[in-house]
Amino acid sequence: MNLDLKEINRCVRCGTCRSVCPVFEESGWESANTRGRILLTRGLARGLKADSDVLDSLNTCTTCGICTDNCPAGVNPPQLIEAARRDLVGKGLVTREQAALSRNIFESGNTFGDPGDRLAWLRDRSRLNEKAGYVYFVGCMNSYRRSETAARTFDILSRFGATLLSAEQCCGSPLVRTGFDAHRFADENLRQIKGTGANTVITSCAGCYTTLKNNYSADLEVLSIPEFLAEHIFELDLEPLDITVTYHDPCHLGRHNKIYEQPRRVIEAVCNLKEMKASGKDARCCGGGGGVRSGYKDLSLRMAKRRLQDVPEGVDYIVTSCPLCIRNLSDAGAGEKAIDLTDLVASAIR
Amino acid sequence: MKDILNDLKEIVGCRVSASLAERCCYASDASLVEGLPDFVVRPENTQAVSRLLRFCSEHKIPVVPRGAGTGLAGGASPLQGGIVLDMSGMNRIMEIDIENLQVMVEPGVVQEKLNQALKPYGFFFPPDPGSSAMCTIGGMIAYNSSGMRCVKYGTVRNYVLDLEVVLADGRVIHTGSKVLKSSAGYDLTRLFVGSEGTLGVITRAGLKIQSLPESRKLVLASFEDAETAGQAVIKIFSAGINPSACEILDKTTLQVLKRCDSNLALPDDGDVILFEVDGTKNSTAEAALKIAKICGPLCKSVRVASSQPEMDAIWAARRLVGAAISRLDPARTRIYVGEDVGVPIKQIPALIKRVSQITAKLDLPAMKYGHIGDGNLHVALFIDVMNEDQWERLRLAADRIHRAAMELGGTVSSEHGIGLARAQYMPEQVGEEALQVMRSIKRALDPLGILNPGKLGLEMR
Repeated sequence: MNLDLKEINRCVRCGTCRSVCPVFEESGWESANTRGRILLTRGLARGLKADSDVLDSLNTCTTCGICTDNCPAGVNPPQLIEAARRDLVGKGLVTREQAALSRNIFESGNTFGDPGDRLAWLRDRSRLNEKAGYVYFVGCMNSYRRSETAARTFDILSRFGATLLSAEQCCGSPLVRTGFDAHRFADENLRQIKGTGANTVITSCAGCYTTLKNNYSADLEVLSIPEFLAEHIFELDLEPLDITVTYHDPCHLGRHNKIYEQPRRVIEAVCNLKEMKASGKDARCCGGGGGVRSGYKDLSLRMAKRRLQDVPEGVDYIVTSCPLCIRNLSDAGAGEKAIDLTDLVASAIR
Repeated sequence: MKDILNDLKEIVGCRVSASLAERCCYASDASLVEGLPDFVVRPENTQAVSRLLRFCSEHKIPVVPRGAGTGLAGGASPLQGGIVLDMSGMNRIMEIDIENLQVMVEPGVVQEKLNQALKPYGFFFPPDPGSSAMCTIGGMIAYNSSGMRCVKYGTVRNYVLDLEVVLADGRVIHTGSKVLKSSAGYDLTRLFVGSEGTLGVITRAGLKIQSLPESRKLVLASFEDAETAGQAVIKIFSAGINPSACEILDKTTLQVLKRCDSNLALPDDGDVILFEVDGTKNSTAEAALKIAKICGPLCKSVRVASSQPEMDAIWAARRLVGAAISRLDPARTRIYVGEDVGVPIKQIPALIKRVSQITAKLDLPAMKYGHIGDGNLHVALFIDVMNEDQWERLRLAADRIHRAAMELGGTVSSEHGIGLARAQYMPEQVGEEALQVMRSIKRALDPLGILNPGKLGLEMR
């Protein structure tokens, strides 16, 4: 058992996390909140058998990190929960959905198990893997499901000399979050990145961002699209739009990496911004992260529906910077109203 | 067990669990007291609770009511198996009746949510424990909890007008009415307040509410030692000032608070008292000035907080400081024992001195903070939980702190309750005869002893 007992014991079971956990809000059972999960993790360390209920408790955490931000004792529950998942995966204790997701990635290099061309959206392949200052890391979601956004993003980034990897693999985020070893993918992506000579990787997926930045061992500068655009927005020839949008903070950009201000700066350079009822560090999770969308779709969409209740009146779009958030919010009722930050910027370029 | 599960499903549908994982999550509250329930039930209405209790009476199944599980005395820990009754799902605010200065709520309503709902009307429910973001009204009533503002506003007991209670045999009673005062018979409402789930299950509560003050001011005064701080508090009360909060923070508490929020403008050293006054703009300005003047000759420094955001930040950090101690030393964890003693206000300096001696002698680090204005001192002991010797010293310290409080004419619990954690002190605390009366009441209302058995020292002989 590789669980960090010291960290587990820091939890004083005060229940502060109970008041913020988005999963608990939907479920109401103690095993579906952070305190319950930590109790079960402690139980595992003491010999509790990891039955399917224990797996469900641990695997329904979206790793959104709102508990971390609110924990008075300074515990980092997503880290504990990911460690517990790793431990269980190491013992072969996985749910059917976890097994399917990991099989997809290990067999095809993408989360969908899609055998198709990852770069099917790219018309001009002449600049693939060329020496460049930046690499645009597209990610599975944008490559296979939101390829128009991928094309728009690359269109903007290539103005600044970005290239693409010819054989990009899944960044490994879904594996890392659900307890699997992703070093094979990290190694392969890093080998290709190094081949381009680039020091900086830019990504428009919050999951890819946090994984490349915090889980890859290499000394790599990783930028999210909001960070890059905030820096370069005035180098683009923009015509401000007469619309009002709101911004949904993806958990893995916001709470996990403190990127709050940059996307707002970009939006305000383009159009009006009206904040959601809960935003910034208090933003409610869309329900899609941590493997919850793939493992517990109904629960995931219930969280997304609740997140949509935070959208203020009179906005034209819900802008975010994570394709997983877009998918979940769209599926929960936002439809075409949920768009990527790059889509917004691209529509304002003259 | 399978038959019982089927019967429970018959009563509450899918809102029952016999899963080991779920039962483990309901084995304790925030205290050290643990016991595994056989089932967890999350009822949705009074009728279900009534049917359930009737069933449990017939089958002699223990029932332990629970709110958010934030208790610190093991009150919600199931010592004899049976059912943990998680009431937090019954969380509707049934009525906000401003004209009659009251609300009607289900027991699962969270304190902070109630106050959020009342704010637009300019009203609030004053008892405000540190756990107000998550604790439920039902739990607050069951433990007569209070918090920082009870020095002026009183404890939960002062706010409950009426309770709907399901008795052990399933009968449903009301203990009061909408009137703000009544002289009709025994005060059953107050009997159930603080009864820790041993007499019945609260399914609805009529609560008195207060209008929000126009203004609040916070005075921060730093003293050389706690004794001088205590003297200042006594002088302030004697001068006729009625603070809405009066909190002491010792040096360790200050360090922890600064770890929680490095921007907090708190004094660097000394024992600090936070005095809050509320009222009109003029009255609070005048009272704050008076407090500063009285503290002046006694303290090292005194100032009035400059803005509402500053006050909010200080109170937010103060609320959660109890759980934040491991920010100071990640190798140690706060253990909630001996954490809720209270003495007559005049004895506070003596209590602080005794606690310091006890913890120093046992070589245990301690953080001391609390509601000095009503004599309630929270002692936070923190240890390396992997170290058996430290556990032993911790238990000794807790016992000595409890006994010190009683010797000073005080109580082993001011607001957290007895549960099992402090049950052993009940004979000494209330006296053997009074305890016998409590046992008679318990027998009258719960002859089979199914409601939260093993708590409050009722079963000790």
